[in-house]
Amino acid sequence: MAPHVELDHVTKFYEAQEQLHALHEVSFGIERGEFVSIVGPSGCGKSTLLKIMAGLDSPSSGEVRFQGGSVRGPQSKISMVFQAFGLFPWRTVLENAAYGLEMRKIPKRERVEISSQYLEMVGLEGYEHMYPKQLSGGMKQRLGIARALAVDPEVVLMDEAFSAIDEVTADILREEVAEIHKDLGKTFVLVTHNLSEALELSDKVVVLSSRPAKVKKIFSVELERPRDRAHSSFIHMHKDILHLMKEELENTIIRHKLRGISELHNLHDMEATRKEGLKKEES
Amino acid sequence: MSVEKQKVLPLSLTSRVLTKHRLVNYLWVIPLGLGFAVWELITRFSLVPNSNLPQFSSVLFVLLSSLQDPAFLLRIAHSFLTLACGLTLAFSFALPLAFISGSKNRFDLTLTPLVMLAGALPDLSFLPLLVLWFGPGSVAAVIMASVAAFFPIYFTVREGTKNIPRELFHVTSIFGSNRISTFTKMVLPAISPYMFSGLRLAYDFDWEIIIAIEIATSVAGIGSFIQGSVSAGSLENGFAAILAIALVAIIVDRAFFGTLESWAKKWT
Repeated sequence: MAPHVELDHVTKFYEAQEQLHALHEVSFGIERGEFVSIVGPSGCGKSTLLKIMAGLDSPSSGEVRFQGGSVRGPQSKISMVFQAFGLFPWRTVLENAAYGLEMRKIPKRERVEISSQYLEMVGLEGYEHMYPKQLSGGMKQRLGIARALAVDPEVVLMDEAFSAIDEVTADILREEVAEIHKDLGKTFVLVTHNLSEALELSDKVVVLSSRPAKVKKIFSVELERPRDRAHSSFIHMHKDILHLMKEELENTIIRHKLRGISELHNLHDMEATRKEGLKKEES
Repeated sequence: MSVEKQKVLPLSLTSRVLTKHRLVNYLWVIPLGLGFAVWELITRFSLVPNSNLPQFSSVLFVLLSSLQDPAFLLRIAHSFLTLACGLTLAFSFALPLAFISGSKNRFDLTLTPLVMLAGALPDLSFLPLLVLWFGPGSVAAVIMASVAAFFPIYFTVREGTKNIPRELFHVTSIFGSNRISTFTKMVLPAISPYMFSGLRLAYDFDWEIIIAIEIATSVAGIGSFIQGSVSAGSLENGFAAILAIALVAIIVDRAFFGTLESWAKKWT
């Protein structure tokens, strides 16, 4: 049977002042109910890849298939959680959570009922009538998740969903997302530069190379859930992927040096991830 | 969660009275009252001749009786309607154009320099031409008012549109919003704080423009009443009309823009 979501030689060029080759023949499949993370150096095009999967952007060649059909434009069964939350500040928590249902012309009573249910799931009951500005970063992303789930999608795409939240809150939220994934059995795709995060949540980690992004390697994570970051296999896998990404990082640095471009700040995230990993290895 | 009892700081008597009755919000009444008192005193003791500045008390008296005079009220209503028409006309042109400028770069580069050029021209200098083409009546006034109101609305809405985060457009697409609902349920509320301040600026501009036109053409409205009163030597009537305009302007401002802005304040 064909995978739930399938990327088939997805290639993306941007026509800017100089042509930018963002993605190069990216192919992999995602099974129904799987949690897949896409990691890679910053600016490698992983967010672009997610946008193409969401139907917000179209590939220059190749295609994304969802349940066998080609994805051209947003799909009602594919939902998304955004990096900067993407909430409407003029809508209350409840109205934000119900937005997707409203666009699907669900009657008001029903959409209040459904979205209240999801707000409860993410721990936002009692906040229904507040405005986003009154919420903390973590709560805003809980709302973003509730909104994405309320439309009962089959695939939830998450674009760096935890990176705008403080680390402790993000940690708790990740555990809850793992829980939600287990309970609802939906397909999740997470783009992240945080390797531990990817390993903690995913069945599969897709490592992309630096620009133009190609699939460098796909790791299957067959560790028991909930994941233990101190488990030796977790640390081993973390080390392996880091090694691979470090290689990529070094390639990029050499290339940038050759070109004489000082875009190195792009790589700081990668460097931070690497250091974090080294620290973990030591301890 | 228990709220800790805060230690009550000793306050002076005045502070306590002011806070208790929310009187702080009305502190502006004191200098205003003082101003009127000074006005009354210098005219009563003829420090300024009454032919140049009437007594405040007599202006107030004329104002109170004028406000019961239908003809006077009709003149104010006429000016206000002219303003409302001009503002509406400007809004219905400026909003769509500004939205397209804010979202389509090429359109912006084509239109905005022209709008800036037009805005650099002194609006009122066209009045004689407008009067020549349309006569000295309301048509010229409405056109003039809508031209003056166009600029603040155009530039604020354009700025507001440019400031909508890209991500919000992605959100509308992902959740299946069509073009119309994207505009009404996302773009409009997102730009509304900008739009409100543009409208308020335009409203203030337009009072100036309308009164100036009415004074210049002396045909209708409260402006021509001021012109008529002053040239007839009845300064009380002139001042009463000015105060009446201020009253109407403030009441509409508070009732209309105040409501819009307090809605926006809830979430911004």
